[in-house]
Amino acid sequence: MLKFPYCNVTDLNQALAQCRFVGLLGPLASRRQSPRAVVSCSPSSSEFSLTPVQAVMSCQQQVGSSLVNRLRLGGLTEDGFSYKEKFIIRGFEVGINKIATIETIANLLQEVGSNHAQSVGFSTDGFGTSPTMRKLHLIWVTARMHIEVYKYPAWRDVIEIETWCQNEGRIGTRRDWILNDVATGEVFGRATSKWVMMNQDTRRMQKVSDDVKEEYLVFCPREPRLAFSEKNNKSLKRIAKLEDPVRYSKLGLKPRRADLDMNQHVNDVTYIGWVLESIPKEIIDTHELQAITLDYRRECQQYNVVDSLTGLELTEGSKMVSVGTNGSATATATTREDDHDCHRFLHLLRLSSDGREINRGRTEWRKKPTR
Amino acid sequence: MVATAVTSAFFSVTSSPDSSDSKNKKLGSIKSKPSVSSGSLQVKANAQAPPKINGTVAVTTSVEGSKNDDGASSPPPRTFINQLPDWSMLLAAITTIFLAAEKQWMMLDWKPRRPDMVIDPFGIGKIVQDGLVFSQNFSIRSYEIGVDQTASIETLMNHLQETAINHCRSAGLLGEGFGATPEMCKKNLIWVVTRMQVVVDRYPTWGDVVQVDTWVSASGKNGMRRDWLVSNSETGEILTRATSVWVMMNKLTRRLSKIPEEVRGEIEPFFMSSDPVLAEDSQKLVKLDDSTAEHVCKGLTPKWSDLDVNQHVNNVKYIGWILESAPLPILESHELSAMTLEYRRECGRDSVLQSLTTVSDSNTENAVNVGEFNCQHLLRLEDGAEIVRGRTRWRPKLAESSANMDQISAERA
Repeated sequence: MLKFPYCNVTDLNQALAQCRFVGLLGPLASRRQSPRAVVSCSPSSSEFSLTPVQAVMSCQQQVGSSLVNRLRLGGLTEDGFSYKEKFIIRGFEVGINKIATIETIANLLQEVGSNHAQSVGFSTDGFGTSPTMRKLHLIWVTARMHIEVYKYPAWRDVIEIETWCQNEGRIGTRRDWILNDVATGEVFGRATSKWVMMNQDTRRMQKVSDDVKEEYLVFCPREPRLAFSEKNNKSLKRIAKLEDPVRYSKLGLKPRRADLDMNQHVNDVTYIGWVLESIPKEIIDTHELQAITLDYRRECQQYNVVDSLTGLELTEGSKMVSVGTNGSATATATTREDDHDCHRFLHLLRLSSDGREINRGRTEWRKKPTR
Repeated sequence: MVATAVTSAFFSVTSSPDSSDSKNKKLGSIKSKPSVSSGSLQVKANAQAPPKINGTVAVTTSVEGSKNDDGASSPPPRTFINQLPDWSMLLAAITTIFLAAEKQWMMLDWKPRRPDMVIDPFGIGKIVQDGLVFSQNFSIRSYEIGVDQTASIETLMNHLQETAINHCRSAGLLGEGFGATPEMCKKNLIWVVTRMQVVVDRYPTWGDVVQVDTWVSASGKNGMRRDWLVSNSETGEILTRATSVWVMMNKLTRRLSKIPEEVRGEIEPFFMSSDPVLAEDSQKLVKLDDSTAEHVCKGLTPKWSDLDVNQHVNNVKYIGWILESAPLPILESHELSAMTLEYRRECGRDSVLQSLTTVSDSNTENAVNVGEFNCQHLLRLEDGAEIVRGRTRWRPKLAESSANMDQISAERA
């Protein structure tokens, strides 16, 4: 990756040499590697108005065929600090409401994050690790995920997702996303996630060392950039542990083979499905998910069995009306509810065997808009 | 001006080529369809708010592809530019040469295998071959890769389903919802799949781009057959072949129906007369029961994400459940090479299913190659009502040791 904060002749000549423009003349070379080589100049003088074109060198091996890179409707943005990609919502990605499911959106967020890592030359093994991390057997694991969807896209809608990452504290990194509807230009969703580094072998958290930090900070925006404004800090809100009485539950969930990712772990997105499993039909039929926050606490293995528990989230000042169990629709409606018919739930995913917590979550639901 | 010369050298690359280029599947990274930003230079150029250089907007004028020598009078060049001229001219020259070379190479390399194929960036697909075959590209995404490091069979089936719907749509055969023509909607008729056969020669992996071709034909007097051919977009290698049989059903009475004349008028123009892409697997599918099943998985329930727009379990999900009771040693060391499914009944959110599997490797009709297994499957409700009957064939994954084979044989002994 070549970035030149200062432009002078020497640097640019060097860039030329390394960009292998000469190499591009060989047809086979260009076909195999399809390097996207553009020279970048960030002029030191802000008044200088040479149109900057950017240099992103994919010197490292690209995954799969170059055809996919050509077809991929995404790439690093001009400053190289974020990555954008377009997708079309496919028929099998919509749910009973004929709109994209939250799992589809979460999958796309994951895909874009992964493509971002790949486009800056990080690993293509699904972990998004930098070379130093691989040497030290370190991988990223998700610690928290927060997604807000203001308006779900429908089948055949074209969306664009922009993503970037930055440092967060001493042990974490943060990845943010903004989701746009291409047709209207509106932002229809935002998301943020926190990742920590873990040793692959010991499965223990590890502080991000300086050399690893330097490797990826190059690709992060220089100034803090947050998908959610400071004021709207629902994404940072602590999730309380679900206490009795548990409102709804779905017990005995098992990872299916299809829930495992290429690294044999239960896919992050599977947890979202499990959290939603204990939401009753009355809510699913009348409401749509507005926001979901998940704290990932413990890994779930292929052979584990999981219970999904849901309860109402109480805010200060609201009274808990005690109602019968197996929450009926009417009972739900009379308890915690604001003017907008919004439901807020707390969730817990735990191991069936010993009750140890896997995930903790929070969801907000709004009444479905008439379409 | 030097700057614009440089940029124009780049932009001439991406200016919209003539249609002959668009026919070439093997597009270089530089060429791109004009309407779509594909991360190529064109995107970046347009994405910048182009600063005015020398009083003109350099970007837009350059896009036309000609060397832009706008001749506008410029303020005295800055020091930076003064240092550059040789380099930029060199760059321009190199790029031009490269372009010419690549264009030459493209022409030589163009395989006229599918002259109508156009890369369609959003994957909406195109109708080719006189409007009878629908074709769509899919790139395999990271989350579609399963634990075997390849695209899962569910991913492949989703692609097949997607092209089927998009075919109907682009042929104007889609009424409301998925899969019913306007006349069918009026009569409350829907297509229901009764049989599906898939043969996978090779599974695509992350980053592969597959091309899915699909077409329909008549199946008997009152049925429809839909065939698919999945190939690697770049190499042309055939990856998967599939064929399916559909019948018409009244969605209110749930009874099978003949194809009414009005509907026949709508769909017959789209029928291709061709042989099935797969020889029909005529072997009768056995119904398993508790005594004949070796592996049983109970208590399978649909998740919210398993339901389609009609609140029925999506056809593709059945495959996942069928595999839930396949023995793990086979799943780990073998890959699914062929599958035949008979759909008997639908199920919804409240259904509780059971998945039964028997491994049968002593099948006399289909001589099994060394290392391959045949399995019989049944997916049923708790009360015994059949949902899907199936048969699968498994071949060893490429790099598997014989140790797994011994384990499987030992388990069955």
